[in-house]
Amino acid sequence: MLEIHDLHASVNGVEILKGIDLRVDAGETHAIMGPNGSGKSTLALVLAGHPAYEVTSGSVSFDGADLLALGPEERARRGLFLSFQHPIEIPGLRLDHFLRAGYNEVRKSRDEDEMDVLKFDRLIRAKAKDIRMDAALTKRSVNEGFSGGEKKRNELLQMAILEPKLRILDEVDSGLDVDALRSVADGINALATPQSATLIVTHYQRILDYVVPDAVHILIDGRIVRSGDKQLAAEIESKGYEPVAEAAGLAPAGGS
Amino acid sequence: MSAQATDEARYLAAFEAAERNGAAHDPTWLRELRRDAMAEFTRAGFPTARRGNEPWKYTDVRSLASTAFVAPDVTEPLGEIDLSPYDLPCPRVHQLVFVDGRYAPQLSTDPPSEGERASHVFFERGDGPIVGRIAEAAHYDVPLVREHLGKHAGAAAGAFTSLNTAFVRDGAFVSIPDGVSVPEPIYLLFISTARPERPTVTYPRVLIVAGRDSSATVLVSFESLGDGAYFTDAVTEIVAGPGASLRCITLQRESDAAYHVSTTNVTQARDSSVSTVTVDLGGGLVRHDLSVLLAEPGASASLNGLYLGRGKRHVDNHTFVDHAVPGASSDEVYKGILDDDSRGVFVGHVLVRPGAQHTVAHQVNKNLLLSDGAEADTQPKLEIFADDVTCTHGAAVGQLDPAAMFYLKSRGIGEAVARALLVHGFVREVVDSIADDAVRQYTDDAVMAALRAG
Repeated sequence: MLEIHDLHASVNGVEILKGIDLRVDAGETHAIMGPNGSGKSTLALVLAGHPAYEVTSGSVSFDGADLLALGPEERARRGLFLSFQHPIEIPGLRLDHFLRAGYNEVRKSRDEDEMDVLKFDRLIRAKAKDIRMDAALTKRSVNEGFSGGEKKRNELLQMAILEPKLRILDEVDSGLDVDALRSVADGINALATPQSATLIVTHYQRILDYVVPDAVHILIDGRIVRSGDKQLAAEIESKGYEPVAEAAGLAPAGGS
Repeated sequence: MSAQATDEARYLAAFEAAERNGAAHDPTWLRELRRDAMAEFTRAGFPTARRGNEPWKYTDVRSLASTAFVAPDVTEPLGEIDLSPYDLPCPRVHQLVFVDGRYAPQLSTDPPSEGERASHVFFERGDGPIVGRIAEAAHYDVPLVREHLGKHAGAAAGAFTSLNTAFVRDGAFVSIPDGVSVPEPIYLLFISTARPERPTVTYPRVLIVAGRDSSATVLVSFESLGDGAYFTDAVTEIVAGPGASLRCITLQRESDAAYHVSTTNVTQARDSSVSTVTVDLGGGLVRHDLSVLLAEPGASASLNGLYLGRGKRHVDNHTFVDHAVPGASSDEVYKGILDDDSRGVFVGHVLVRPGAQHTVAHQVNKNLLLSDGAEADTQPKLEIFADDVTCTHGAAVGQLDPAAMFYLKSRGIGEAVARALLVHGFVREVVDSIADDAVRQYTDDAVMAALRAG
């Protein structure tokens, strides 16, 4: 589903990703782990098409299409979804209006009819119930005044409604207490399908106790320095990133 | 100077022709009101000076003054007009429609008809609102009209008010009797056919008198059926009695070639509350002067507005809140969205007179610039002559947040819709200040349609 070859990307002329290779197939869950500043979030944002990042070389194919040639909205319409580390607050824009606009744009791109307000309202309520989110939140402005947990749950709601093929979850556990973490993880697992793939970007191992990865990749200084199975995440948890970095001949970025 | 003299002379000639033609049946007080207003207009002239002309320093009306607008041809029969685009999402209960300044009975509800019915409409109703024509109210010499027409928008309000008053023959007269609450919105619709052949001028006039402890919502709409040039010189007078609660929404969707100048004067008695919402989605050159006199303690006013600048549109909002007495409050939020080469002007004048203690006055003007060519001018003017008051003001000019744009796009929303949603979010608090569900929904749809049209 997703194939990344030798991906290099910069922001403001500073190279952050220095040659990433990664392949994720349908039905798989991969975790990208790394210390702060290693380029994890950059990778997530580059895949989603953030305009601040410049891809300087390499290629990414998504379902056979050249992902890098597509704008962010087109990537989303084709089934790529990024759950943001820091979901933005948009005063004045009602969450349900935002959700319906996105949903209908995706449907339109597939030559399907737009869904009317009443039907969509029912859909929202059903999806919110599935992920145990208070549907009343959808009548408020997007993320405005939401708690950390509510913001993450809102990302989950958007994922539930858009039903993406590739789910990129950037630090989905940040700011969550253990109960909220478990509940968000339950949502992630419940929404997974054999046709979808998941890329979890995380600093800590703890989310991987709940959303179990098929593969774990350690990202340091813009490169994947080691890959393994879920045991690798446990190893990082007990020993930290330093031994992996040293083995690769690197000091862990951002560690100083 | 000679060019200017002829500009006013054209209106004087039109005035004299109108007075000769069918004005004889009007009561003397109305004819005098018009004559005095014409004299005042002739004396003052259009405010075209580009130096030392503070109230008009951002807005140049020379092209308006020099255009030879003519009265619409009222001998022509009104063609079929489809009003369905202007239907509110609620039953039609009180609706008055004027087309090119002419009352359109077939499009209006509750027609104040001839004879006994009219006298019943104007004099005997105590249980519901009077929604009638100024022409008929004047004909029956309704005391409220004689008492209030032209008294709240006096000559001091400026040349455009004088000009409107000089030509006042008809318009909408709304009266809410003491203690009456009107559940349905009262809808006053002024339509310009805006044919391209000849630029026309109309003088829409509205008088709203809300009695003691009464309550009502009034929507005043200006719509255009064509894209020709014309001049709308509108005046609205609002009188809120003790304890009255009045909501007045103005929706302006004139043609892009139109000149729209409107003056609204509000006078509020003790414990009254008046909420105005001014929504500008059309017009070429637009100017509003909104003045609120908080004449007695306990009066509260809310002044909200939003304006959408497109093309070369120029929208100028001047507001004036006069805290004449202690213990009154005002709250003002105006938001502008300016795209292309448009310009938005906001001048918010708040006067707290000596002795007006415990005044609370808040004012905010925010503008969103969507292009390099757009311009926003914002000028708060606070004059405070009392010491125990709470007064705040704020102004901001900004652009769309790129992080918010990316968030929307990352959910599949394309550039144009994303912009419309974010801009709509920016002005939503103004739309949400409309309490009536049907009027709010209608206004919101109009705003969203205008945003998506870009």
